[in-house]
Amino acid sequence: MKFIKKTIPLLIVFVVGVLSLISYYVPHKTSVNFIELMSKWENIVSAFAFLLGLISLFFSHYHKISRKVDGWGYSIFVFIGFFAIIIPAILNHGKSMTAAGPTSLGWAYSSIYTALSGTMFAVLAFYIVSTAYRSFRIKSKQAFVLFVAAFVLILGKVPLGQIIWTSVLGWTHVTVSTVIDWIMTVPAVAGKRGIMIGIAIGAIVTSFKIIFGIERQYLGKD
Amino acid sequence: MSETWMIAGAWLSAGLTIAIFSFLYKDNPFFKIAEHLYLGAGMGWLFQVSVFSVWGPKIWTPVSHGDWLVIIPSLMGISLLTQFIPKLSWISRYGFTFIMGYGSGLAIPATLSTDFMSQILGTVQPLSLMASMSPFAIFNALLVAFGVICVLFYFFFSVEHKGHFQKVSNIGIYFLMVYFGAAFGNTVMARFSLLYGRFDSLYASSSARNFYATQIILAGMVIYFVLHSFFGKKGPAEGEAAH
Repeated sequence: MKFIKKTIPLLIVFVVGVLSLISYYVPHKTSVNFIELMSKWENIVSAFAFLLGLISLFFSHYHKISRKVDGWGYSIFVFIGFFAIIIPAILNHGKSMTAAGPTSLGWAYSSIYTALSGTMFAVLAFYIVSTAYRSFRIKSKQAFVLFVAAFVLILGKVPLGQIIWTSVLGWTHVTVSTVIDWIMTVPAVAGKRGIMIGIAIGAIVTSFKIIFGIERQYLGKD
Repeated sequence: MSETWMIAGAWLSAGLTIAIFSFLYKDNPFFKIAEHLYLGAGMGWLFQVSVFSVWGPKIWTPVSHGDWLVIIPSLMGISLLTQFIPKLSWISRYGFTFIMGYGSGLAIPATLSTDFMSQILGTVQPLSLMASMSPFAIFNALLVAFGVICVLFYFFFSVEHKGHFQKVSNIGIYFLMVYFGAAFGNTVMARFSLLYGRFDSLYASSSARNFYATQIILAGMVIYFVLHSFFGKKGPAEGEAAH
Protein backbone atom coordinates (compact mmCIF):
# COMPACT_ATOMS: atom_id res chain seq x y z
CA MET A 1 0.00 0.00 0.00
CA LYS A 2 2.92 2.34 0.76
CA PHE A 3 4.05 1.87 -2.84
CA ILE A 4 0.70 3.12 -4.19
CA LYS A 5 0.24 5.83 -1.59
CA LYS A 6 3.73 7.30 -1.51
CA THR A 7 6.20 5.79 -3.98
CA ILE A 8 4.13 6.24 -7.15
CA PRO A 9 3.31 9.92 -6.38
CA LEU A 10 7.00 10.59 -5.72
CA LEU A 11 7.87 8.79 -8.98
CA ILE A 12 5.35 10.98 -10.85
CA VAL A 13 6.91 14.18 -9.48
CA PHE A 14 10.43 12.91 -10.30
CA VAL A 15 9.68 11.70 -13.85
CA VAL A 16 7.51 14.69 -14.83
CA GLY A 17 9.96 17.15 -13.21
CA VAL A 18 13.13 15.70 -14.78
CA LEU A 19 11.53 15.31 -18.22
CA SER A 20 10.17 18.89 -18.15
CA LEU A 21 13.58 20.19 -17.08
CA ILE A 22 15.52 18.24 -19.72
CA SER A 23 13.03 19.04 -22.47
CA TYR A 24 13.70 22.76 -21.99
CA TYR A 25 17.35 22.28 -22.96
CA VAL A 26 16.87 19.73 -25.75
CA PRO A 27 16.26 21.48 -29.09
CA HIS A 28 14.27 18.63 -30.64
CA LYS A 29 10.71 18.37 -31.94
CA THR A 30 9.94 15.56 -29.47
CA SER A 31 10.86 17.69 -26.47
CA VAL A 32 8.87 20.66 -27.80
CA ASN A 33 5.85 18.37 -28.30
CA PHE A 34 6.33 16.96 -24.80
CA ILE A 35 6.39 20.43 -23.21
CA GLU A 36 3.24 21.40 -25.16
CA LEU A 37 1.48 18.22 -24.06
CA MET A 38 2.48 18.71 -20.43
CA SER A 39 1.32 22.35 -20.57
CA LYS A 40 -2.08 21.17 -21.88
CA TRP A 41 -2.30 18.50 -19.18
CA GLU A 42 -1.36 21.02 -16.50
CA ASN A 43 -4.19 23.30 -17.70
CA ILE A 44 -6.65 20.44 -17.34
CA VAL A 45 -5.45 19.38 -13.87
CA SER A 46 -5.40 23.04 -12.70
CA ALA A 47 -9.01 23.49 -13.87
CA PHE A 48 -9.99 20.58 -11.59
CA ALA A 49 -7.92 22.13 -8.78
CA PHE A 50 -10.05 25.26 -9.20
CA LEU A 51 -13.16 23.06 -9.01
CA LEU A 52 -11.84 21.68 -5.71
CA GLY A 53 -11.67 25.22 -4.30
CA LEU A 54 -15.09 26.12 -5.71
CA ILE A 55 -16.81 23.08 -4.19
CA SER A 56 -15.08 23.78 -0.87
CA LEU A 57 -16.31 27.39 -0.92
CA PHE A 58 -19.85 26.29 -1.77
CA PHE A 59 -19.84 23.71 1.03
CA SER A 60 -18.67 26.36 3.48
CA HIS A 61 -21.39 28.85 2.54
CA TYR A 62 -24.06 26.14 2.20
CA HIS A 63 -23.32 25.04 5.78
CA LYS A 64 -23.55 28.66 6.97
CA ILE A 65 -27.00 28.96 5.37
CA SER A 66 -28.27 25.56 6.51
CA ARG A 67 -27.09 26.09 10.11
CA LYS A 68 -28.20 29.74 10.08
CA VAL A 69 -24.95 30.92 11.65
CA ASP A 70 -24.32 34.66 12.19
CA GLY A 71 -24.37 36.51 8.87
CA TRP A 72 -25.79 33.50 6.98
CA GLY A 73 -27.91 35.81 4.82
CA TYR A 74 -24.79 37.23 3.19
CA SER A 75 -23.75 33.74 2.05
CA ILE A 76 -26.79 33.70 -0.27
CA PHE A 77 -25.14 36.53 -2.21
CA VAL A 78 -22.16 34.29 -2.99
CA PHE A 79 -24.52 32.02 -4.93
CA ILE A 80 -26.35 35.00 -6.47
CA GLY A 81 -23.03 36.43 -7.70
CA PHE A 82 -22.00 33.04 -9.06
CA PHE A 83 -25.22 32.47 -11.01
CA ALA A 84 -25.29 36.11 -12.20
CA ILE A 85 -22.17 35.25 -14.22
CA ILE A 86 -22.78 31.57 -14.99
CA ILE A 87 -26.30 31.87 -16.44
CA PRO A 88 -25.33 34.53 -19.06
CA ALA A 89 -22.15 32.51 -19.76
CA ILE A 90 -24.18 29.38 -20.56
CA LEU A 91 -26.65 31.36 -22.68
CA ASN A 92 -23.82 32.92 -24.71
CA HIS A 93 -21.45 29.90 -24.76
CA GLY A 94 -18.81 31.87 -22.85
CA LYS A 95 -18.69 34.74 -25.36
CA SER A 96 -18.70 38.20 -23.78
CA MET A 97 -18.58 40.09 -27.07
CA THR A 98 -20.05 39.56 -30.53
CA ALA A 99 -20.07 41.66 -33.71
CA ALA A 100 -23.34 43.22 -32.51
CA GLY A 101 -21.75 44.37 -29.24
CA PRO A 102 -21.46 43.04 -25.69
CA THR A 103 -23.54 39.99 -24.81
CA SER A 104 -25.35 39.53 -21.49
CA LEU A 105 -22.12 37.92 -20.20
CA GLY A 106 -20.16 41.05 -21.19
CA TRP A 107 -22.84 43.16 -19.50
CA ALA A 108 -22.64 41.10 -16.29
CA TYR A 109 -18.84 41.22 -16.38
CA SER A 110 -18.63 45.01 -16.74
CA SER A 111 -21.61 45.87 -14.50
CA ILE A 112 -20.90 43.42 -11.70
CA TYR A 113 -17.39 41.97 -11.76
CA THR A 114 -15.42 44.99 -13.06
CA ALA A 115 -17.32 47.38 -10.76
CA LEU A 116 -16.66 45.17 -7.74
CA SER A 117 -13.03 44.25 -8.42
CA GLY A 118 -12.04 47.78 -9.50
CA THR A 119 -13.62 49.36 -6.42
CA MET A 120 -12.27 46.71 -4.05
CA PHE A 121 -8.70 47.54 -5.14
CA ALA A 122 -9.40 51.28 -5.38
CA VAL A 123 -10.51 51.32 -1.71
CA LEU A 124 -6.99 50.18 -0.86
CA ALA A 125 -5.73 53.58 -2.08
CA PHE A 126 -7.22 55.16 1.04
CA TYR A 127 -5.63 52.60 3.32
CA ILE A 128 -2.27 52.96 1.57
CA VAL A 129 -2.38 56.71 2.27
CA SER A 130 -3.04 56.14 5.97
CA THR A 131 -0.30 53.50 6.08
CA ALA A 132 2.04 55.89 4.32
CA TYR A 133 1.45 58.49 7.02
CA ARG A 134 2.58 56.00 9.67
CA SER A 135 5.45 54.42 7.73
CA PHE A 136 6.84 57.73 6.46
CA ARG A 137 7.59 59.04 9.91
CA ILE A 138 11.31 59.40 9.40
CA LYS A 139 13.06 57.66 12.25
CA SER A 140 16.32 56.68 10.53
CA LYS A 141 18.46 57.45 7.48
CA GLN A 142 17.13 54.35 5.71
CA ALA A 143 13.53 55.51 6.32
CA PHE A 144 14.47 58.91 4.87
CA VAL A 145 15.80 57.27 1.68
CA LEU A 146 12.57 55.24 1.34
CA PHE A 147 10.52 58.40 1.85
CA VAL A 148 12.47 60.42 -0.74
CA ALA A 149 12.21 57.67 -3.39
CA ALA A 150 8.45 57.23 -2.86
CA PHE A 151 7.78 60.98 -2.59
CA VAL A 152 9.64 61.84 -5.82
CA LEU A 153 7.86 59.03 -7.65
CA ILE A 154 4.37 60.06 -6.49
CA LEU A 155 5.11 63.78 -6.95
CA GLY A 156 6.46 63.34 -10.45
CA LYS A 157 3.46 61.42 -11.71
CA VAL A 158 0.83 64.07 -10.96
CA PRO A 159 0.57 67.40 -12.82
CA LEU A 160 0.60 69.44 -9.58
CA GLY A 161 3.86 67.76 -8.53
CA GLN A 162 5.43 68.53 -11.88
CA ILE A 163 4.43 72.20 -11.54
CA ILE A 164 5.90 72.36 -8.01
CA TRP A 165 9.12 70.70 -9.18
CA THR A 166 9.50 73.12 -12.09
CA SER A 167 8.87 76.19 -9.93
CA VAL A 168 11.24 75.10 -7.13
CA LEU A 169 13.96 73.19 -8.98
CA GLY A 170 13.42 74.44 -12.53
CA TRP A 171 16.75 76.31 -12.43
CA THR A 172 18.61 72.96 -12.38
CA HIS A 173 17.17 72.11 -15.85
CA VAL A 174 16.56 68.58 -14.56
CA THR A 175 12.95 67.49 -15.02
CA VAL A 176 11.20 65.32 -12.45
CA SER A 177 10.61 62.62 -15.08
CA THR A 178 14.39 62.44 -15.64
CA VAL A 179 14.93 61.93 -11.90
CA ILE A 180 12.20 59.24 -11.75
CA ASP A 181 13.73 57.53 -14.75
CA TRP A 182 17.16 57.56 -13.07
CA ILE A 183 15.78 56.18 -9.78
CA MET A 184 13.93 53.40 -11.58
CA THR A 185 16.86 52.40 -13.83
CA VAL A 186 19.83 52.74 -11.46
CA PRO A 187 19.45 52.46 -7.65
CA ALA A 188 16.01 50.76 -7.69
CA VAL A 189 17.27 48.27 -10.28
CA ALA A 190 20.26 47.44 -8.07
CA GLY A 191 17.94 46.70 -5.14
CA LYS A 192 15.50 44.75 -7.29
CA ARG A 193 18.23 42.66 -8.92
CA GLY A 194 19.66 41.67 -5.55
CA ILE A 195 16.22 40.48 -4.43
CA MET A 196 15.48 38.71 -7.74
CA ILE A 197 18.80 36.83 -7.71
CA GLY A 198 18.13 35.76 -4.11
CA ILE A 199 14.59 34.61 -4.94
CA ALA A 200 15.86 32.76 -8.04
CA ILE A 201 18.42 30.81 -6.02
CA GLY A 202 15.73 29.92 -3.45
CA ALA A 203 13.22 28.88 -6.14
CA ILE A 204 15.74 26.69 -7.98
CA VAL A 205 16.87 24.94 -4.80
CA THR A 206 13.25 24.36 -3.69
CA SER A 207 12.34 23.00 -7.13
CA PHE A 208 15.23 20.51 -6.99
CA LYS A 209 14.18 19.49 -3.48
CA ILE A 210 10.63 18.82 -4.74
CA ILE A 211 11.79 16.85 -7.80
CA PHE A 212 14.14 14.65 -5.75
CA GLY A 213 11.53 14.05 -3.05
CA ILE A 214 13.42 15.85 -0.27
CA GLU A 215 10.59 18.38 0.14
CA ARG A 216 7.34 16.42 0.41
CA GLN A 217 5.10 18.42 2.75
CA TYR A 218 2.64 19.00 -0.09
CA LEU A 219 1.82 15.27 0.03
CA GLY A 220 0.08 15.82 3.35
CA LYS A 221 -0.16 13.33 6.18
CA ASP A 222 -0.70 9.57 5.75
CA MET B 1 -27.74 45.33 -25.51
CA SER B 2 -30.80 47.49 -25.32
CA GLU B 3 -30.90 50.95 -23.75
CA THR B 4 -32.78 49.53 -20.73
CA TRP B 5 -29.99 47.02 -20.08
CA MET B 6 -27.36 49.77 -20.31
CA ILE B 7 -29.27 51.88 -17.76
CA ALA B 8 -29.72 48.83 -15.50
CA GLY B 9 -25.97 48.20 -15.82
CA ALA B 10 -25.22 51.78 -14.79
CA TRP B 11 -27.47 51.45 -11.72
CA LEU B 12 -25.95 48.10 -10.75
CA SER B 13 -22.40 49.32 -11.28
CA ALA B 14 -22.99 52.55 -9.32
CA GLY B 15 -24.77 50.68 -6.51
CA LEU B 16 -22.01 48.11 -6.10
CA THR B 17 -19.27 50.77 -6.30
CA ILE B 18 -20.91 52.93 -3.62
CA ALA B 19 -21.62 49.84 -1.48
CA ILE B 20 -17.91 49.00 -1.39
CA PHE B 21 -16.86 52.62 -0.83
CA SER B 22 -19.28 52.70 2.15
CA PHE B 23 -16.73 50.57 4.03
CA LEU B 24 -14.62 53.72 4.35
CA TYR B 25 -17.31 54.98 6.75
CA LYS B 26 -17.74 51.71 8.65
CA ASP B 27 -18.48 48.02 8.18
CA ASN B 28 -22.10 47.72 7.05
CA PRO B 29 -24.56 45.34 5.35
CA PHE B 30 -24.18 47.00 1.91
CA PHE B 31 -20.44 46.35 1.95
CA LYS B 32 -20.94 42.77 3.14
CA ILE B 33 -23.44 42.08 0.36
CA ALA B 34 -21.08 43.56 -2.25
CA GLU B 35 -18.15 41.64 -0.79
CA HIS B 36 -20.00 38.30 -1.00
CA LEU B 37 -21.26 39.12 -4.50
CA TYR B 38 -17.66 39.83 -5.53
CA LEU B 39 -16.58 36.44 -4.24
CA GLY B 40 -19.40 34.67 -6.06
CA ALA B 41 -19.00 36.64 -9.30
CA GLY B 42 -15.22 36.06 -9.30
CA MET B 43 -15.75 32.34 -8.84
CA GLY B 44 -18.46 32.38 -11.52
CA TRP B 45 -16.12 34.07 -13.99
CA LEU B 46 -13.29 31.60 -13.33
CA PHE B 47 -15.72 28.69 -13.55
CA GLN B 48 -17.04 29.76 -16.94
CA VAL B 49 -13.44 30.22 -18.14
CA SER B 50 -12.69 26.65 -16.97
CA VAL B 51 -15.81 25.30 -18.72
CA PHE B 52 -15.48 27.13 -22.02
CA SER B 53 -11.67 27.33 -22.31
CA VAL B 54 -10.49 24.09 -20.68
CA TRP B 55 -13.11 21.39 -20.15
CA GLY B 56 -14.87 22.07 -23.47
CA PRO B 57 -12.01 22.50 -25.97
CA LYS B 58 -9.32 20.50 -24.14
CA ILE B 59 -11.33 17.52 -22.84
CA TRP B 60 -14.76 17.22 -24.45
CA THR B 61 -13.73 18.06 -28.04
CA PRO B 62 -10.67 15.73 -28.17
CA VAL B 63 -12.60 12.85 -26.54
CA SER B 64 -15.49 13.26 -28.98
CA HIS B 65 -12.91 13.05 -31.82
CA GLY B 66 -11.41 9.85 -30.42
CA ASP B 67 -8.35 11.37 -28.71
CA TRP B 68 -8.47 9.42 -25.45
CA LEU B 69 -5.08 10.65 -24.16
CA VAL B 70 -6.73 13.58 -22.36
CA ILE B 71 -8.42 11.06 -20.08
CA ILE B 72 -5.09 10.76 -18.17
CA PRO B 73 -4.89 14.40 -16.99
CA SER B 74 -8.68 14.38 -16.47
CA LEU B 75 -8.36 11.41 -14.09
CA MET B 76 -5.47 13.14 -12.31
CA GLY B 77 -7.68 16.24 -12.02
CA ILE B 78 -10.65 14.24 -10.73
CA SER B 79 -8.30 12.59 -8.22
CA LEU B 80 -7.95 16.02 -6.55
CA LEU B 81 -11.63 15.90 -5.62
CA THR B 82 -10.98 12.90 -3.33
CA GLN B 83 -9.79 15.51 -0.83
CA PHE B 84 -13.42 15.61 0.29
CA ILE B 85 -13.33 11.91 1.29
CA PRO B 86 -10.79 11.58 4.15
CA LYS B 87 -10.27 7.81 3.64
CA LEU B 88 -9.49 8.24 -0.05
CA SER B 89 -7.77 11.64 0.10
CA TRP B 90 -4.36 10.03 -0.62
CA ILE B 91 -5.54 9.53 -4.23
CA SER B 92 -5.39 13.33 -4.69
CA ARG B 93 -1.58 13.03 -4.44
CA TYR B 94 -1.52 11.81 -8.06
CA GLY B 95 -2.90 15.12 -9.30
CA PHE B 96 -0.90 17.28 -6.90
CA THR B 97 2.40 15.54 -7.67
CA PHE B 98 1.85 16.05 -11.38
CA ILE B 99 1.32 19.81 -10.87
CA MET B 100 4.32 20.01 -8.50
CA GLY B 101 6.58 18.01 -10.83
CA TYR B 102 5.67 19.98 -13.93
CA GLY B 103 5.85 23.31 -12.07
CA SER B 104 9.24 22.52 -10.52
CA GLY B 105 10.68 21.12 -13.75
CA LEU B 106 9.66 24.21 -15.66
CA ALA B 107 10.52 26.69 -12.88
CA ILE B 108 14.21 25.71 -12.83
CA PRO B 109 15.15 26.68 -16.43
CA ALA B 110 12.71 29.63 -16.49
CA THR B 111 14.02 31.11 -13.23
CA LEU B 112 17.61 30.36 -14.16
CA SER B 113 17.37 32.24 -17.44
CA THR B 114 15.10 35.17 -16.53
CA ASP B 115 15.66 35.88 -12.84
CA PHE B 116 19.23 34.68 -12.42
CA MET B 117 21.39 34.72 -15.56
CA SER B 118 19.77 37.68 -17.27
CA GLN B 119 19.96 39.76 -14.08
CA ILE B 120 23.68 39.04 -13.75
CA LEU B 121 24.12 39.72 -17.47
CA GLY B 122 22.28 43.03 -17.17
CA THR B 123 24.61 44.04 -14.34
CA VAL B 124 27.89 42.91 -15.88
CA GLN B 125 27.36 43.57 -19.59
CA PRO B 126 27.43 47.42 -19.38
CA LEU B 127 30.85 47.16 -17.73
CA SER B 128 32.25 45.60 -20.91
CA LEU B 129 30.95 48.48 -23.06
CA MET B 130 32.55 51.30 -21.11
CA ALA B 131 34.72 52.48 -24.02
CA SER B 132 31.63 53.59 -25.92
CA MET B 133 29.74 54.99 -22.91
CA SER B 134 29.41 58.53 -21.55
CA PRO B 135 30.94 59.26 -18.11
CA PHE B 136 27.44 59.44 -16.57
CA ALA B 137 26.47 56.07 -18.09
CA ILE B 138 29.72 54.56 -16.73
CA PHE B 139 28.89 55.97 -13.29
CA ASN B 140 25.40 54.45 -13.49
CA ALA B 141 26.73 51.04 -14.58
CA LEU B 142 29.25 51.00 -11.72
CA LEU B 143 26.58 52.13 -9.24
CA VAL B 144 24.23 49.32 -10.31
CA ALA B 145 27.02 46.71 -10.04
CA PHE B 146 28.09 48.07 -6.65
CA GLY B 147 24.47 48.16 -5.43
CA VAL B 148 23.76 44.58 -6.54
CA ILE B 149 26.86 43.30 -4.73
CA CYS B 150 25.93 45.21 -1.55
CA VAL B 151 22.32 43.92 -1.62
CA LEU B 152 23.46 40.34 -2.23
CA PHE B 153 25.86 40.74 0.67
CA TYR B 154 23.01 41.87 2.88
CA PHE B 155 21.26 38.53 2.16
CA PHE B 156 24.46 36.48 2.60
CA PHE B 157 24.47 35.03 6.08
CA SER B 158 27.40 32.60 5.86
CA VAL B 159 29.73 35.37 7.10
CA GLU B 160 28.97 37.33 10.25
CA HIS B 161 28.13 40.95 9.42
CA LYS B 162 30.81 42.72 11.43
CA GLY B 163 33.31 45.52 10.70
CA HIS B 164 33.71 46.14 6.94
CA PHE B 165 31.21 43.42 6.13
CA GLN B 166 28.58 45.27 8.13
CA LYS B 167 29.32 48.52 6.26
CA VAL B 168 28.82 46.81 2.88
CA SER B 169 25.64 45.18 4.15
CA ASN B 170 24.36 48.56 5.45
CA ILE B 171 24.92 50.17 2.04
CA GLY B 172 22.84 47.32 0.59
CA ILE B 173 19.96 48.36 2.84
CA TYR B 174 19.96 51.84 1.25
CA PHE B 175 19.61 50.35 -2.23
CA LEU B 176 16.80 48.14 -0.96
CA MET B 177 15.08 51.18 0.57
CA VAL B 178 15.21 53.04 -2.75
CA TYR B 179 13.63 50.01 -4.44
CA PHE B 180 10.94 49.65 -1.77
CA GLY B 181 10.19 53.38 -1.96
CA ALA B 182 9.91 53.26 -5.75
CA ALA B 183 7.73 50.13 -5.58
CA PHE B 184 5.52 51.79 -2.95
CA GLY B 185 5.16 54.95 -5.07
CA ASN B 186 4.21 52.90 -8.12
CA THR B 187 1.66 50.88 -6.12
CA VAL B 188 0.08 54.06 -4.75
CA MET B 189 -0.22 55.55 -8.22
CA ALA B 190 -1.70 52.31 -9.62
CA ARG B 191 -4.35 52.27 -6.87
CA PHE B 192 -5.18 55.94 -7.47
CA SER B 193 -5.49 55.24 -11.16
CA LEU B 194 -8.13 52.59 -10.31
CA LEU B 195 -9.80 55.09 -8.00
CA TYR B 196 -10.06 57.67 -10.79
CA GLY B 197 -11.58 54.95 -12.98
CA ARG B 198 -14.28 54.21 -10.40
CA PHE B 199 -15.02 57.93 -9.92
CA ASP B 200 -15.28 58.29 -13.68
CA SER B 201 -17.75 55.38 -13.75
CA LEU B 202 -19.79 57.00 -10.95
CA TYR B 203 -19.78 60.27 -12.89
CA ALA B 204 -21.04 58.49 -16.02
CA SER B 205 -23.82 56.84 -13.98
CA SER B 206 -24.86 60.21 -12.54
CA SER B 207 -26.09 61.55 -15.90
CA ALA B 208 -29.76 62.25 -16.72
CA ARG B 209 -29.55 59.44 -19.31
CA ASN B 210 -29.00 57.00 -16.42
CA PHE B 211 -31.73 58.66 -14.32
CA TYR B 212 -29.19 60.04 -11.80
CA ALA B 213 -28.26 56.58 -10.52
CA THR B 214 -25.23 57.74 -8.50
CA GLN B 215 -27.02 60.58 -6.73
CA ILE B 216 -30.12 58.51 -5.85
CA ILE B 217 -28.16 55.50 -4.55
CA LEU B 218 -25.79 57.75 -2.60
CA ALA B 219 -28.71 59.67 -1.06
CA GLY B 220 -30.45 56.39 -0.17
CA MET B 221 -27.36 55.08 1.54
CA VAL B 222 -26.79 58.32 3.48
CA ILE B 223 -30.43 58.23 4.67
CA TYR B 224 -29.91 54.61 5.80
CA PHE B 225 -26.78 55.50 7.79
CA VAL B 226 -28.47 58.53 9.41
CA LEU B 227 -31.55 56.49 10.39
CA HIS B 228 -29.37 53.60 11.55
CA SER B 229 -27.30 55.90 13.75
CA PHE B 230 -30.50 57.15 15.44
CA PHE B 231 -32.62 54.00 15.63
CA GLY B 232 -30.21 51.11 14.99
CA LYS B 233 -28.89 48.73 17.63
CA LYS B 234 -25.48 49.63 19.03
CA GLY B 235 -22.83 46.93 19.04
CA PRO B 236 -20.28 45.15 16.89
CA ALA B 237 -21.10 44.65 13.20
CA GLU B 238 -22.97 41.41 12.73
CA GLY B 239 -21.81 38.61 10.55
CA GLU B 240 -18.43 37.54 9.30
CA ALA B 241 -16.24 38.56 6.41
CA ALA B 242 -16.46 36.41 3.27
CA HIS B 243 -13.85 33.73 3.04
